Amino acid sequence: MRLKLIGCEVLFREMCHACAHSPHQVDVEFLPKGLHDLGGKPMAAKIQEAVDRTPEGVYQAILLGYGLCGNGLEGLTARHTRLVLPRAHDCIALLLGSHERYQAYFADNPGTFYRSTGWLERGQGLQQLTHHTTGFDESLETLIGKYGEDNGRYLYEEMTRYRAQYRKLTFIETGLEADGKFIAEAAAEAKEKGWSFERMPGDLAWIGRMVEGEWTEAEFVVAEPGQRIAASYDNRVVKVRT
Amino acid sequence: MPDLEKLHAAVIEGDWKAAAAVTHAAIARGVAPLTIVGCLVPAMDEVGRLFECEEYFVPEMLLSARAMKASMEIVRPLLAAAGTEPVGRVVIGTVKGDLHDIGKNLVASMLEGGGFEVIDLGADVAPERFIEAATARHANLVALSALLTVTMPSMKTTVDAFQAAGLREQVKIMVGGAPVTQQYADAIGADGYSESAAGAVALARKLVVV
Repeated sequence: MRLKLIGCEVLFREMCHACAHSPHQVDVEFLPKGLHDLGGKPMAAKIQEAVDRTPEGVYQAILLGYGLCGNGLEGLTARHTRLVLPRAHDCIALLLGSHERYQAYFADNPGTFYRSTGWLERGQGLQQLTHHTTGFDESLETLIGKYGEDNGRYLYEEMTRYRAQYRKLTFIETGLEADGKFIAEAAAEAKEKGWSFERMPGDLAWIGRMVEGEWTEAEFVVAEPGQRIAASYDNRVVKVRT
Repeated sequence: MPDLEKLHAAVIEGDWKAAAAVTHAAIARGVAPLTIVGCLVPAMDEVGRLFECEEYFVPEMLLSARAMKASMEIVRPLLAAAGTEPVGRVVIGTVKGDLHDIGKNLVASMLEGGGFEVIDLGADVAPERFIEAATARHANLVALSALLTVTMPSMKTTVDAFQAAGLREQVKIMVGGAPVTQQYADAIGADGYSESAAGAVALARKLVVV
């Protein structure tokens, strides 16, 4: 098959690795990290643009290297080529290899911040600055500079309080890391924010099955031309609507 | 009334010191506490509009909320002393597994400005805690927040828990948060959904009217 993969750059290394091993020819397009910060509808519009740019009659399917991503894939419509999307809430599920594994770990480990190679190295300086995200991760000095000593300090406390509510940073290790720099960086971030640090083995088989064309009903939703993707509000995560 | 215009401006501008000063001055001049409170929600509605237009960002909203809270701090004991009954009693929290609370905090502040007694349980709140608080504090409204599609199922388990405890008829349940939709609210049997903090106050008032 000839396949087109439109994916989030956070999954760059993992997707490229899978494509390199696929029996199919996969053309790849990565969209910027952080589209989910725009909100569900704007993100869906951006991905739809990429889908709509795909030429007709060239590919047997367009693979979406995403999860539901905060409804960023909600409403995405297949035009002339079918769309294939994993039944995942987000990229963390994909990196962990199954919806169930993610649900179980998430439930047992509240207050966990997840990191992976892409989450650390991708999108540096390209944080999606929207009215939803501006202000977060700004230093105390910057906030004081913008809002004055009193308000600046207040904002810093309000906007960094989440650090005390998170307890752990989990680095999802996929085996694609060429050296120890990712682990070191993740561990340093955990230390800086006062969180514990855990290394967790990822599982790239789900991503592998997507680019190998093994789209089982249990793991993937397939939208045929004219159908659109929707949140299903159950354990299947997504469904199609005609 | 010049005091109230100044208070409105102080909230819009995120100036908590001015909001407090104007509130003190207004009370000294005999302006009724309820009248003062009555100008806070319209001011925050305007702030909400500025946020939707992308003129205000989260920091500006937080500063406006801070100004509103500064005024409420002064007025609250006067309302209590006068025996003013709240419009309703609402238990609010971010559901189990979810730690996001800035939006929820904003809604909590606005509900208080809107005349509600607010019992804020914080984040990562299990269904049992919502039930416990609603029962102990005789709440007639429960407001659930979630920011992740992963944690939205906790909204359903909370609604189901109220049902299983035989308490579903005693409270109205409203839901909100970025990935939440009216469709989802309907699917889980919630009584209402609001897309915005300002809308949440209007919805809450509608839900508590018998």
